[in-house]
Amino acid sequence: MTRTIVVTGAGGVGKTTLSAGIASAHAAAGRTALVITIDPARRLADALGLEHLGSDPQPVRGDAHLHAAMLDVSASWEAIIHRYAQPEVADRLLVNPYFRAIADRFPAAQSFAAGERMAEYVESGRFDVVVVDTPPSGGGIDFYRAPAATRDLISGKLLRLLTGSRVPGRSVLYRITARPMLRLVDSVLGGPMLSDVADFLLDLRTMYDTLSVRARTIDRHLREATTLVATTADPTPIHETERFFRELDDVRIRPSAILFNRALPRQWADDAPAPAVAVGRDRLAALAANLSNWGAEAHRQAEAAAELEVRHKVPVYRIPWVTPPPTSLVEIADLVRSTGLEV
Amino acid sequence: MLHKPLIFVSGKGGTGKSAVAAAIGLVRARAGERVLCVDMGGGLGLASHLRRTDLGYAPVEVRPGLFAMEIDRARALDEYLKLQLHVPQGSPTRQLARALSVLVETAPGVREIISIGKPIYESWSGRWDAVIVDAPSLGQFQSYLHGPGTIAGLAPSGTVRRQAERLVDTLTDPDVCSVMLVTTPSELATAETRGAIEAINSEELTAPPSVIANRVVPHAGFGAEDIEPLPEGSLRDAARLQLSIEEYQRRWISELPPNIALPFLRGVHTPGEVATLIADELGAGQAAAE
Repeated sequence: MTRTIVVTGAGGVGKTTLSAGIASAHAAAGRTALVITIDPARRLADALGLEHLGSDPQPVRGDAHLHAAMLDVSASWEAIIHRYAQPEVADRLLVNPYFRAIADRFPAAQSFAAGERMAEYVESGRFDVVVVDTPPSGGGIDFYRAPAATRDLISGKLLRLLTGSRVPGRSVLYRITARPMLRLVDSVLGGPMLSDVADFLLDLRTMYDTLSVRARTIDRHLREATTLVATTADPTPIHETERFFRELDDVRIRPSAILFNRALPRQWADDAPAPAVAVGRDRLAALAANLSNWGAEAHRQAEAAAELEVRHKVPVYRIPWVTPPPTSLVEIADLVRSTGLEV
Repeated sequence: MLHKPLIFVSGKGGTGKSAVAAAIGLVRARAGERVLCVDMGGGLGLASHLRRTDLGYAPVEVRPGLFAMEIDRARALDEYLKLQLHVPQGSPTRQLARALSVLVETAPGVREIISIGKPIYESWSGRWDAVIVDAPSLGQFQSYLHGPGTIAGLAPSGTVRRQAERLVDTLTDPDVCSVMLVTTPSELATAETRGAIEAINSEELTAPPSVIANRVVPHAGFGAEDIEPLPEGSLRDAARLQLSIEEYQRRWISELPPNIALPFLRGVHTPGEVATLIADELGAGQAAAE
């Protein structure tokens, strides 16, 4: 049975690094682990050996148990189309200008593609652990809403809105798009866009049955996964974490833990001299002022972490602030393990 | 650069662009101007930095002279059809808008022109001395900037095309519009910001963007030699963290020298406090420059 771990949270809090560290810690414990990542930082990519990586999992250099895959969203969509559409529909879809627009812009598309990849690797049975670094859009919540949103897109809900009736056949649709009201739309938009879009949605609809089953499966995998919410101590990510917990609750996902990244030692808050003591011009005063400043931050962090723990009733794992950010997988895995997070 | 009538604030996610957008709004309003802050992203970012739980499509006054709103695409589309395209009276605009909502999500450039159009129309309206936009993060922001040009290219003629061309004129007018990209002195933010600047400049989407480096840890006034004699403990550990951050940040600041540097705020609890402190900092910087 493959264990799935989803690392989610606001942008810029270190999700990618933490995901890699968790996967690496599992690999070090002898389990076959896969990390699925999106757009990793250059040096982390180097550490993972990702510079020439496609979306198929590859073994990470120097680590027999660790594999990594980088998600290329448009390639994933092409794969989905090829897998679930009739060949002639697939050919039409892939050249439709709206396919690119959907793949790049439909907010749930990137997330659906990531979820699809996750499901594929979890089901392959090749890995003991699959760690997913969620796409940044919508603070991560899109990842959970994507299966339903994609089903809506393909179900013809948009088509019905467009035509104001039940989903029509192609010929009926063309008659409808010739109506004066819809011709006005085209004239406003400056081109025959409407029939192109309708065409596209009709083709997409042929995939409805298979894709909606798939969407349900992805949804089930997400519910069975361990969800970890990452944040840093900065006021904005803390605020977003609060919102994120509410949104996850709406889709009935219960996170198992909070990863509190870039944490300062609590001890600094206790040891910090009062700001008045730190006044002066010499080096010693500067050192004291420095501890006073970081101590104030450590104090606030401790309060924020305690508040998160009490409010959401989940353990908060504090990952120490290390500068420069660690780049080797061994270092990152050590950092993750040092928090007491069970891997 | 903080004085332009239309300012777009973007940046990599997590760098603090909403805080900076709110702070610029606060600074301009403190100077007695009538200011509109627009949240284009649909997140809670701008609202929380202005100490509000949410924002609506109608501007609300959040401080004396400072108003804030959030883009609602359906409402913006309705307005675009009525006011900008002069869709004739009596035409079924509700039905039209409903049909168009599909296109808004899918057709190239349409979603973008409606979202980016709203703050630009507001800046044309003459009701504001300044319109400050909390724009989406870098990748999405660039596709928004492409919107008007894409539409102008697709629409062969007519009202749509004239409108789109006027939007492009405003975006590219260096006296009217400025783009500020918020970054932090770190590897990924620096790389992404540089990439965005190159793309915006090479395609001349706007005047060259300014860079605001956020969360810059100020120099603490000691060096490695001062740490050596210290005993093990918090004083020494905090000093070492400080020096390693200074060194790391120096590197990324030299890679992308900012027009404005904002300090890392320590011991600050809420987004509202962050925006106020950044506004103080921007205001002091402006006073020093004058």
